[in-house]
Amino acid sequence: MTRPVLWNYDLDDASYTVRLMASLAGVDVDLRAVDVYPGAEHHSPGYLARHPLGRVPLLEDGVVQLRQVPAMLTHLARTGPRGTGFLPADPVGTAAVEDWLAFAFRDWLALSAARSASIFGDGVDLDPLRAAAIAALRVAEDRLVAQSLLGSGFVAGSAASVADIALFPGFALSRDSNIDHDAFPALRNWARRIRALEGFVTMPGIPDYH
Amino acid sequence: MPPPPVAWTPVALAADLQPGAAAGVVVDGAEVAIWRDTAGTPHAWEDRCPHRGMKLSFGFVRGERLACLYHGWEYDGGGQCRYIPAHPDLDVPASICVNRYSAADAAGLLWVASGTGSGDLPDPGDPLSPLRSLFIDAPLGEVLNRLAADGLPGLGPVVESAEDGPLLNFDQAGHRFVVGRHPTGPSGTALHILLKGEVSAEARAAMIPATAELRRLAEAGR
Ligand code: FES
Repeated sequence: MTRPVLWNYDLDDASYTVRLMASLAGVDVDLRAVDVYPGAEHHSPGYLARHPLGRVPLLEDGVVQLRQVPAMLTHLARTGPRGTGFLPADPVGTAAVEDWLAFAFRDWLALSAARSASIFGDGVDLDPLRAAAIAALRVAEDRLVAQSLLGSGFVAGSAASVADIALFPGFALSRDSNIDHDAFPALRNWARRIRALEGFVTMPGIPDYH
Repeated sequence: MPPPPVAWTPVALAADLQPGAAAGVVVDGAEVAIWRDTAGTPHAWEDRCPHRGMKLSFGFVRGERLACLYHGWEYDGGGQCRYIPAHPDLDVPASICVNRYSAADAAGLLWVASGTGSGDLPDPGDPLSPLRSLFIDAPLGEVLNRLAADGLPGLGPVVESAEDGPLLNFDQAGHRFVVGRHPTGPSGTALHILLKGEVSAEARAAMIPATAELRRLAEAGR
């Protein structure tokens, strides 16, 4: 069987999210490096033919061609030998995971925007981006405080789900935008639990403790 | 950087810092690295590596030592540097040592002080059920006045409230709340909130929205 192909840029947080999910789910992917910086290869005609939106990552698995990260996460969880635990089977669990997955790809993107502006942005006003990022962090912190009290270490259900994996990089990389973890003890402990999962991998900027 | 106050300050719920974990806290403007070794003993140090100044709270615990994230220098529980990866055979000079503060567990809270700490740590007394730590961008005095008068929003009237050194106690909704007061700076507050006795997880989880509302009201100054 041919392995899925992930068109990837190592320093991109969305690409990392997919590499992390693949590794946790036990899926071996062939990585194809896309020279986003400085080459702007994601805007080249060859790449645009595969991905008209000109973004990384892109996941190709046989006839399946995925351009949206949430679809990649659920696909990897569904097909990987260790993946099924990341997608609950029951309607209640599924509802919670889908709600937090949508949060990760809407409100939580403020963290990614604040990080990009901090690293690459010239003269961008960081304050509103940081405020939106902190508002999102507080929503997740409050959720995880309640979840932990109820005996769960994760945002939806009692085990790590695709929603947790979608959220992890934004928190782990938030120090790049000078957002410390001091005020988020529940998120800090949740991040330790994610790091302890079998198959956990890092990216540049996320240290490996072990 | 200024050291933390000499008087004991609660900086976290004890249960929120697990053995083998490190975290950063700000105590009255002082940046402090708190960590527990794998045996669970708490430590509080200046959050600054003697090598190049990296925050030690970004580091990681290896058994009885804290290793700096940047170049991996390892410090033992006494703050003494014991290992430098770039010079593995070096007998590290005793002068390479972290500034240490005092750290202690008491009454479900983790406490930090400069020197050996002044004042008594609270007696554990009855069992306590942790609720949460809440970080608010508003001065401690304002937050405490609001809390002493109204408690958590939406939970009914506060029957009685009393300050007990670094703790604020109040009765509301049939519970006795015990709150560790922690100024992070002139306009920042952390509250470390516990409940007296055994309170069910469901009852505590149901209070989380009220704590978020307290944070919102305090920051709006209303
Ligand atoms: S700064 Fe800590 S080891 Fe270099």
